[in-house]
Order: sequence, then structure tokens, then C-alpha cells
Amino acid sequence: MGGVKRSIIKMATFTGSMAPVLVLWLAMSLSGTWAVDKGNFKTCDQSAFCKRQRALKPGDSPYRALLETMELTNTRLTLQLINDNNKVRLLLELYRLQGNMTRVKINELKPLKPRFEVPDVLITEPSTEPLSLLSQDENGVVLSLGTESQRVIISARPFRLDIMEGPEVLMSLNSRGLLAFEHLRMRKDTFSYKVTSTVASVWDNIKRLFSSQAEPEGEKKEEADPANQAEKEEEEKVDGMWEETFKSHSDSKPNGPSAISLDFSLPGVEHVYGIPEHADTLRLKTTDNGDPYRLYNLDVFQYELYNPMALYGAVPVMLAHKAQRTTGIFWLNAAETWVDISSNTAGKTVFGKMLDYVQGSSETPQTDVRWISESGIIDVFIMLGPTPKDVFSQYASLTGTQSFPPLAAVGYHQCRWNYNDQEDVASVDAGFDEHDIPYDYIWLDIEHTDGKRYFTWDSHKFASPKEMLQALEDKKRKMVAIVDPHIKVDSNYKIHNEIRNKGFYIKNKDGGDYEGWCWPGSAGYPDFTRPDMRAWWASMFAYDQYEGTAENLYTWNDMNEPSVFNGPEVTMHKDAVHGAWEHRDVHNLYGLYVQMATAEGQIQRSGGVERPFVLTRAFFAGSQRYGAVWTGDNAAEWDHLKVSIPMCLSLGLVGISFCGADVGGFFKSPSTELLVRWYQTGAYQPFFRAHAHLDTPRREPWLFGPENTALIRDVVRQRYTLLPYWYQQFYHAYRTGEPIMRPLWVEYPQDPATFALDDEFLIGKDLLVHPVTEEGARGVTAYLPGKDQVWFDVHTFQKHNGAQSLYIPVTMSSIPVFQRGGSIIPRKMRVRRSSSCMTHDPYTLYVALNLQRTAEGELYIDDGHTFNYEKKEFIHRRLSFAKNMLSSVNLATDAEFSTGSWIERIVILGASKPSKVTLKTADGQESQLEFDFDASMSVLTLRKPGVNAGLDWNVMLQ
Amino acid sequence: MHFHMIIVAVFWFGFVDSRKIRGISSSYKRFFRERKSFLCIDGSKIIPFEQVNDDYCDCEDGSDEPGTSACPQGRFYCTNLGFRPHYIPSSRVNDGICDCCDASDEYNSHAHCQNACWNLGQRERAYVEGQMRTLDEGLQLKQQLIEEGVLLWREKQAQLRELQQVAEDLQTKLEERRSRKQEADRLKEQTPRPPEAGDGRLFRGQNSTVTGTFKLLDSNKDGSITVDEVQAKVALVHDEERVLSEDEAVIKDTHGAPGVGEDPPLKVADREWEATNLKKVEEAYDTVNMEISDLREKLAIDYGPDWEFLFLNSQCYKLKVYEYTYTLCPFNQVTQQSTAGTEVSLGRWGMWEGPPKNQYGRMVYENGEPCWQGGSRSTTVTLTCGTETALRSVKEPSKCQYIMDFQTPVACQPVLKQRGIHSEL
Repeated sequence: MGGVKRSIIKMATFTGSMAPVLVLWLAMSLSGTWAVDKGNFKTCDQSAFCKRQRALKPGDSPYRALLETMELTNTRLTLQLINDNNKVRLLLELYRLQGNMTRVKINELKPLKPRFEVPDVLITEPSTEPLSLLSQDENGVVLSLGTESQRVIISARPFRLDIMEGPEVLMSLNSRGLLAFEHLRMRKDTFSYKVTSTVASVWDNIKRLFSSQAEPEGEKKEEADPANQAEKEEEEKVDGMWEETFKSHSDSKPNGPSAISLDFSLPGVEHVYGIPEHADTLRLKTTDNGDPYRLYNLDVFQYELYNPMALYGAVPVMLAHKAQRTTGIFWLNAAETWVDISSNTAGKTVFGKMLDYVQGSSETPQTDVRWISESGIIDVFIMLGPTPKDVFSQYASLTGTQSFPPLAAVGYHQCRWNYNDQEDVASVDAGFDEHDIPYDYIWLDIEHTDGKRYFTWDSHKFASPKEMLQALEDKKRKMVAIVDPHIKVDSNYKIHNEIRNKGFYIKNKDGGDYEGWCWPGSAGYPDFTRPDMRAWWASMFAYDQYEGTAENLYTWNDMNEPSVFNGPEVTMHKDAVHGAWEHRDVHNLYGLYVQMATAEGQIQRSGGVERPFVLTRAFFAGSQRYGAVWTGDNAAEWDHLKVSIPMCLSLGLVGISFCGADVGGFFKSPSTELLVRWYQTGAYQPFFRAHAHLDTPRREPWLFGPENTALIRDVVRQRYTLLPYWYQQFYHAYRTGEPIMRPLWVEYPQDPATFALDDEFLIGKDLLVHPVTEEGARGVTAYLPGKDQVWFDVHTFQKHNGAQSLYIPVTMSSIPVFQRGGSIIPRKMRVRRSSSCMTHDPYTLYVALNLQRTAEGELYIDDGHTFNYEKKEFIHRRLSFAKNMLSSVNLATDAEFSTGSWIERIVILGASKPSKVTLKTADGQESQLEFDFDASMSVLTLRKPGVNAGLDWNVMLQ
Repeated sequence: MHFHMIIVAVFWFGFVDSRKIRGISSSYKRFFRERKSFLCIDGSKIIPFEQVNDDYCDCEDGSDEPGTSACPQGRFYCTNLGFRPHYIPSSRVNDGICDCCDASDEYNSHAHCQNACWNLGQRERAYVEGQMRTLDEGLQLKQQLIEEGVLLWREKQAQLRELQQVAEDLQTKLEERRSRKQEADRLKEQTPRPPEAGDGRLFRGQNSTVTGTFKLLDSNKDGSITVDEVQAKVALVHDEERVLSEDEAVIKDTHGAPGVGEDPPLKVADREWEATNLKKVEEAYDTVNMEISDLREKLAIDYGPDWEFLFLNSQCYKLKVYEYTYTLCPFNQVTQQSTAGTEVSLGRWGMWEGPPKNQYGRMVYENGEPCWQGGSRSTTVTLTCGTETALRSVKEPSKCQYIMDFQTPVACQPVLKQRGIHSEL
């Protein structure tokens, strides 16, 4: 899918009566540059609140904890903070949450009007655990966080919060004094007031000169002396607090300044990760010499790589890692957010006797992080690990886990903007059969609609969609059609009329329906923050509402940042109105809601039986619950192929496992070599979809000569043989929140050599993939982690030792993939037309022995498409090899499912030759298995155990 | 006796075994006649015969599992009685999708396949018959078109020769005119005298001969000669020898009159006449030459071994697809016109680009209107056999790359006739 570029084309080929701003874009596109036009997007300096906040430098915090206001119940501590500069009071809430987390909330004690708190992201109100007071004096308070000698130290003057475990400081808040809270205020800018306040403030200053050092206590002063505050506001007004313009757009800011900021210090930490979406390395960089990382969902046209610019989605979660511990910070705020990262700077002041035993010299590495958001409150979840998997489970307990997709969605997806008509769809479908390449979904982009009216079909090109869907169903294949959240303003369009009549559109600042330009021309944007709107939207996916649809049609939500071609930064005006809130407050949530409502619609249309599949471009914390994401409009360039790895790794770390990049690159046309390499990489990433821009030549897999067709066929088939493993990984992600595609450090947290690796990755914990992402590569150097670990090349079965960098010569057919010694991976070797065709096929088990000659793995089987797994209708078995015996035991004795699949073959890597192999089934029957032993590679293949995959059995090597 | 019985038994079992091997054609039966063991067809391995079609792949080449989905390289033979037999990849055996029309591939699946071979066979036979009729008719039409093409080709060649003749004549005239003009200019410099009436008359007469040629060519009387006009009249000019010779005679007479060139000096008006005449002859000459090169260019195009595609040269074919009308003018250009009326070039004649076996199966038109993302529009036209000449479909699979299906009798190939239904009964 395209961003701005697409608009240009449409506008050019449609009519000439377009808004002048589009003409401007036209001109820009003609300039012929490929890179993003950075001028369309704000730098921190151009974003008034970021500039204001960043101008604050580390130092003494003006905030003081008023310990006398402390209230401690069993589960909650509250405490007032006061800003000594303006005497505005804040309310601090502190919770100990189950699973080793601490939640810190800071809001104004008495805000002029309520400040936005993000709803619908947490799956439930998190369960709390008791807090107890350990000690208290005038300098601060020490609280116990329950077990593990964890404490929170609240220092009063200045306010600061330290979380400790034993003698070690895990994290400090406001240690650099960057807590800031722009309180809501009345606008005071009439001329007479200005004069008075200026005079008053002068008088005030004179007065202050002669007054004693001891100032009157806070509240009194606040009431007695509003003039002081007014003076500040007068200054602040100049900084764009009450109005802000960017390019031709102005932001009316009726609520004035409302930014918040807080700093976090991470002693001992040199590696921080997460806060997607950025086209950057896995390990986040320090931002001292440039802009902070920005989180603001934007439709960025032809995005640039390796910089902190905002992209389509935002997950305000950062992971901090050092060899001994992994922690996480979840900053629950949906407004525009900037994150500064620096290392070994200020903030190491050891204060008071409470911190006397803090260890470490000034050389201890430290990373400091600072979050700045435009509005809302500070609501931060500190996930204390200690292991990476603990952090995943902590975060999952807050925002949920990856939705468990239908098995087919884990297969290969064939997309293009656009498959032109039904005939085109049929011929592409036939092409896959002709070239014997499996696929599960064919996709339709915006051109399939009647004039970009979603929920409709072009009556010429897609005259009989149900027939088309049936033809796909006959091959056990599926389709995805796009449904974007911008709705054509057209009184003959049912969807528009209903939304308008129900008052469901987002409003502009003056109260009318907000209108912007997008694919259909003038469009309205439904207010997805409203539950009643979402319910209505979901109902539109019913088969009798969305005409021409069937069970095998799924949905793609694009442009849901939301993209507004003529809006500021190609998105919605911040002063647009969602009921009681401004768009400013909810911006980063919009995309999540769109996907939420769409997925809900798909569930409802099947009566709650079938799993949905919805792809989204925009996302937020919690989006993992609703489907897949992709990295948006990338380009057919080698660097874009490379960056797909860290981009999806970063998403996986913050819960969004179902991630992929457009295979081949969206913009431009890939060289054949790049296309093949991209297929080879994409086949080993969770969401595997080829996509191409409307203006690019066709690139279906068979269009590049028989040799390249064979290369692509081979890798797509590799994907399909591994579907049982992938599916099991998805089930695992759904259960635990662990990433599917994961950085090496997650599995090898104590090996610093893995900390910054982002040209290779793991799928689950058992497959290591180092895709070839260099043009003309003759070889790659892969780091194989783990002392006393061995890795087996999955293609040659060659064994390699761990904890080494291995040079692997490559040809065009090579995809360096290794199976961990000690693992068992199930595959289905009979690759068929689509995943559904393989349902009843038998399994081949690849048992890779470690140095202890043991291995473990799992096998998960269910119907592949319904929610019946929630009703315990599945098979989950543990496969383990030890003492020359491989056995399958039930991991879920309370679950029940029957399968026709059986064990076809067992391949044991690193084996020695047995004299006899005996299979023993649950009923006690014993039989001898034939086997084949390849002495050169130490590979033992057991022929046809034939036992049903859902039963108990074991195989003994003698 | 006992011995004989064993032989019979072996033979019988062997026969039965090969009969029940699923997924092989009769020509492969000989590989499956073993009783105890089976040799993989590639010779790589011997396996017990009971492991043939036991749903486990033993042979590298997949030959031991012709009837199951076990081997990745395997293939399954659909006998398809009543229709065409064919192979499908093993991966399509028991996958729940009916691939063989005789339903033989789904012997152990949930799919309920009906034997549809007879119906398919019927349909195919009807289709093939239709195709044959089309082909027969098409080939007859093609023969006519070939004959017409040959005639047309000769005509064009003749036309070219005639044009060349005119050009030669005009060149001669041109040279004469040029020398006359030079003479006039030279005389003017020597004796600048006012013109005399008598001389004027003479030149008007002279002029009238040139004008005559001009008028002859300038059929629409707009005062200038167009390529089309020359093309239309050249034959006339040359056929009517009398007119031509009269003209030539007049020109010769004028030129040849001894006194004219030497004695009575030219006046200003004469010089002007002379200049005008020269210009007109030059124009005529250029026009004819342009026409010659144009015709040469056209004749340089490959119209097939029998000039059978020549008749398409001056034709255009239209097809409306949704909001666009497409026009294919073979050997010239392809255009697209929107309902709003704007016309876009989808390419100008490029070349034949058919596969080696069917060189004239595809034409390419290139360098049409430029595209947004660089490059220019182009169109590939596939020619298929039909009884009429018409544009059948237009598609734009990728932006700016159009493909057309163009039906015409001249695309009919006799080789097609050999197609038919082979059925192993």
C-alpha cells in the first residue's frame, strides 16, 4: 500500500478539481527524489512541547514530595508532589503489581479538567500486591516490594524514586530532575491582564528581593500570588503553548500546554531496545546529537532508514538489558511522544544514608532515558524482569499476548496493488498451481472497490466476488480485501450515510464532521474510540451487510494512522474532537481501535466460531491481540531488506510477534537477486507476504526465469514444511507473550556478543536464521551462540559448535538456517497447494542432539481455524529424547482433539548407529523400525513409525 | 506339475500386482512387475515390493510411491477415461481437491469427487471441433488474405517505383529551374532593367505548366501538396502518359527556345516568377521524396512470409473496456481514449516478438506516453486465430504495460489441426 505517492497518481488520473495542496504534492513527486521528504514531518524543534521540554536540562528537580500527604493502603501508596516553582501539586500513585512490576502514576492533584488516561489497552485492571512501609523520615520513605529484598525509596527533596534489589539500584525515576508536568490552566492573554500581570510581577520581584529566605508554605503562596504564575505563562505563550503552526497547518490548542516528562536512569545498562516503530537498528542509539526517537503514528512516504523518525505505529515500551537482568518500561500514553536516550551522563548522585551501600564507581555504565508526551498523564509500568522472558510475561499480563492466528495466515500471502479483476485473480491463482508453489491468501488492494468505497466491489472488475471466493475455496485458499478507515463523503454511499446519521464521525474543532483527503477524495473518519461506533463497524462485516463476501475473505486495515493527505504531517489535526477528548490525546490509539473493531467484526460474522485475520499498518501497545502488522511502504532496496530484521525484532520484543515486511519491497522494482533473497528472508519471518506498488512491473514468482522460479519455489516450500513449528511458536506466543522472531540475546542473555546482533535471529529458541541480505554475497558470517551448544545446518545436517562466528559460503540457493542441538522440530514434508491441504499430513520429527545426547521439543495440533482450542480441543505433546529413547507424552491431559496425522519419519541428527530400533505404542505393542544411517553426517533416519501423532509412544535405539 | 502351478501363480500374482499399482500409466506397468522387490526406476535402490505405494517415500526419484503423496518429486497418473489422461504432482493426491476428472486422486480424502471425465470429454470435443471449424475457416480466409497481400505488395512496389520515377522527373525539372534562376540572378546583376510585358506573358505560360503539375497533385486545392495527394495522384500522372509528355514537352519547349535564354534579358517580375516556380518544384520534390521514404519504411516492415499481415497496415481496431476505448492500428500505433476524451499513446510499432516457433504470434508497440515512475507505456499484442479480425481483450497487468489479444485469420496456423483428444482407453 502506498502513502502519499498513491494520492498523486489517483489525483492525476481522476479529475483536475483537486485541492491545491495536492498540486503541491504533485510538484514534489515530480522532483524525482526517492527519499522521504523530511520537511513534511516535525523535528523535536518543530514540535512545540518537545522543544520546550527538551530545553529543560538535567539538574535539581523543582518537585518535592510532601511526605505528610502520604497515604498507604495495603496495595496503594499516594503522595502529593509540589513544584516549588509554580506551587502546582501533583498526585503520585504507586502500586506493586503481581509478577514483579511497579506502576507509577502521576497526575495533577486538581486538574482544571480531567486529563486523558488511556483506556482499552490494558486487558484488565492489573492485580496488585501488598506494599509495606520499611522506614520513613523527613528525607524520604522506604517501601518493601514484597519478595526478593526489593524496595522503593521515595526521596522527598527533590522528589526522586529508586527501585532497588539488595544493594543494587535497578532503576531511578527523576534522578536527573526531568519530571515535568504542564498543568492545565486558563488562557490569560487579554491586554489588560497582560499589563496588570507584568506590573504585578515586577512588584513581586521587588518584594521578593527584600523578603526573608523562608518562603511561605506552598498552598498559601499559590493562592496568594497568582501573578507570579501569570508571568510565566506570558513567557510560555511565546513558545507556542496556546497555538502552534506547522507548514500551512495550525493547531488551535484550546487546552493550552499539557506536556509531561519523566526521566529514568538504568545503572549498569548499556543496551536498550524496543519503542517501535522505527526503521533503525535493534539496539537503540543515544539521541544526544540528534532528535529523540519519536512515537507518533504517521503515513511516511518512502521512509528513510536508520533514523529516529516516527513511522506508522507506536509501542511505548522499552527493554533494558544487561547480562544479569532485563527490565522494561511501559509508558502508557497515546499522545505524541519523544524518547531521549543517553548513556553515562548525569544522575548518579548518591544521597542519604539509605543509599549508602550503593555499589559501583563512576565508571559503571549507565543509560538514561527520558520520555516526553504532549498530553495525558504519566502512567508507567516498570517491569523488573529479571529475565527477558519474565519481562515478556509481565508485559503480556498487562496488554495481552499475540492473537492466535488461523494456521493459513502463517502460510504465504500473495499481494499486489492491484490484482485488476477476477480474471487476473484466477490467472495468478492458476500460476501458483502451474509452477507448483503453495500459497494461502491472495490480496486485493484499494482498486477492487467501487471508487474507494470500502465494503463494496467494483461492479465491472469484480462483478461476482462470491464466485471468485468460491473458486479460491475450491483450492482451499483464501483472500484478503482491504478496508480502510477513511470513508468517502458521498450521499449515495450507505456506509457514509449511516456513520454521518449516527454522528459517528470524528469532529473538527468547530463541531462539524472532520473531513480530509484520502484515496476516495474527500473522506470522513469514523470515531473508533467510541465503543458504539466499533460495534457498528464490526456489524458491517456480517455476510448480509458486506455483500459479496464469504468465510474465506479476510481484511486488511491500511491508512489507519490515520492518514490524511492534506492534514498536518499527513495525519489528522490534533484539535479534531473525539467526544470529550482531542485527537491529540488519542492519536496513537486510533489504529489499534480500527483493527480491534475489524477483528471483532470477523469474529462476529462467524458467530464467534472462527479466528479472525486482520492486518494493520498502524498499531499501539496491545495491537498484538488483534492480528498482524507489517512494516509499511518499504522499498525494493537491499538496506530495506536488512532493516526488516531489526524492525520485526523490535516489534516482537514488545509483544507484536506477527510481523513482516513487504517481500520484494513496495516501492520500486527489485533486481531478481534482491527478490530471491527477500523471499528467502521473508520465508523465515512471521508474516510472509509479497507486495508491490501499482507502478512496478509484475513480479509473481514465476516471472524471472525457471532458475529463479525454482529458487523461490524452494524457499516457499521450506516455509510450508516448517508450518507445524511456526504454528507451535504462535501458540506459544499466544500463551506466553514471548516473541516468535527473537533476538539472540533473549535466549543468551549473558553473552554480550549477542546484544547488538540484528542481522540474524531466532525463531522460537530452536532455529537460528542468518538471511543473506548483501548483494552479490559469497558468504555470511553467522554467530552461533552458546558455549557447550551445537547447531546443525538444516540443509546439510552439518554440526557446528556454539559460541563462534562461523563463515558460511553461500550461493543463490543458500539460506543459512541452523537447528539447535537439544531441540526437536516437527515438519510436514508433503508440501501442497495450501496449508489447509496439508491438515491430515504426517509429521517428520527432526531430533537434533546436544552434547549430552538429549533433545526436547513440542507438537501442537488443533483444527487450525476455530476458537475451539479455547475449549481445550487440541493436542499438545512434549517430545523428548534422552538415554537413547525418544518419547511423546501429553502436555495437556485435560485437552482433547483427534488428528489423522501420524509420524512419518524421525530424523536424528548427531546420532550414532543403533543395532535395533523399537517402537512401543500406548497399547504396549512393540515393533521394529527400519532405519537408515548416514555415517558421514551422523544422521539416523527411522522409517515410518506410523503411529498417530496424538498418541503416546516411544522409540528405543539399541 | 507343481512347478507349473508356481509359474502360473507367479505370473498371475505379478499381473495382479501390476494391475493394482495406483497412479501409473500402462507404459510404466513393466517397472512394477516384481514380486518380492522393487527397483527404484532410477536404479538407486531396491526395496521390498510391499513398500511400493505404502505411503512412505523410499526412492530418491519418487518412483516407489506413484499412487500416494509420500514423495516430493513424485507424480500421479490420472487415467481419466473418456478425457485426456495426465500427470499431477503427488502433492495433489488426497489433498481434498479433485484434480483427476475420474476422481482417482482422491481415494482417501474427505472430498466427494464425481467422475466428470465424460462431460469434460464432451465439452472438450465440442470445443476442439469448434476450434477446428474456426481453424478451417480461418485458414481459408488466410489464404485469401495472403493472395490479397501479395497483390497489395506488388501494388505498393509499383507505387514505389512510380514515385521514384516522379522524383527523378522532378529532380530534372528542379535542376533546370535552379540553373534558370541562377541565370536570372546573374542577368539581374548585369542589367538591372524594368520588366517587359511580353516576357511576363512568356513566363506566365511557363508557370502554367508547373502550375498544371501542381494542380494535378494538389487535389484539395489548398495551395500545397500533401503526402497523401502525391500518393493518390502519382499513379495518375504516370498512367496518363499524354499529360506527362505534354508537360514535359511544354517544359522542354520553353527551355529549348533558343532566344529565351540568351537574348531578351529577364525583368524583375520574371525573376520573381522564376523563384516562385523553383520553390514549387522544390516543394513537390520534397513531398514526393517524403512519400518515397514513408513508403519504403512501410515496405521495410516484415509482413510475414506471404505478406499476409500487410492488409492490417492501414486498418485500426477498437475495443471498449470499462471507461476506456483502445485502438490498435497495426504496424502504426496503439492508443487509449478515456470517456472524458483524452487520448494517450500506448506505444508505436516496434517489432515482432513471438517465440521462435511462432515468430508472428506477438507484436510489440513501444515508446508511448511517459509514465509516472519513469519509462513509457508499451503494449504487447498477441495474435490468435479467429475468423474475424478484431481486438478481443486489453489488460494492464502492470502499470503502463498493456497486453492485447488480437484475433485474425492470418494468425491461424495449420499445425493447430493436429491437436485432438488422446485418450488411453
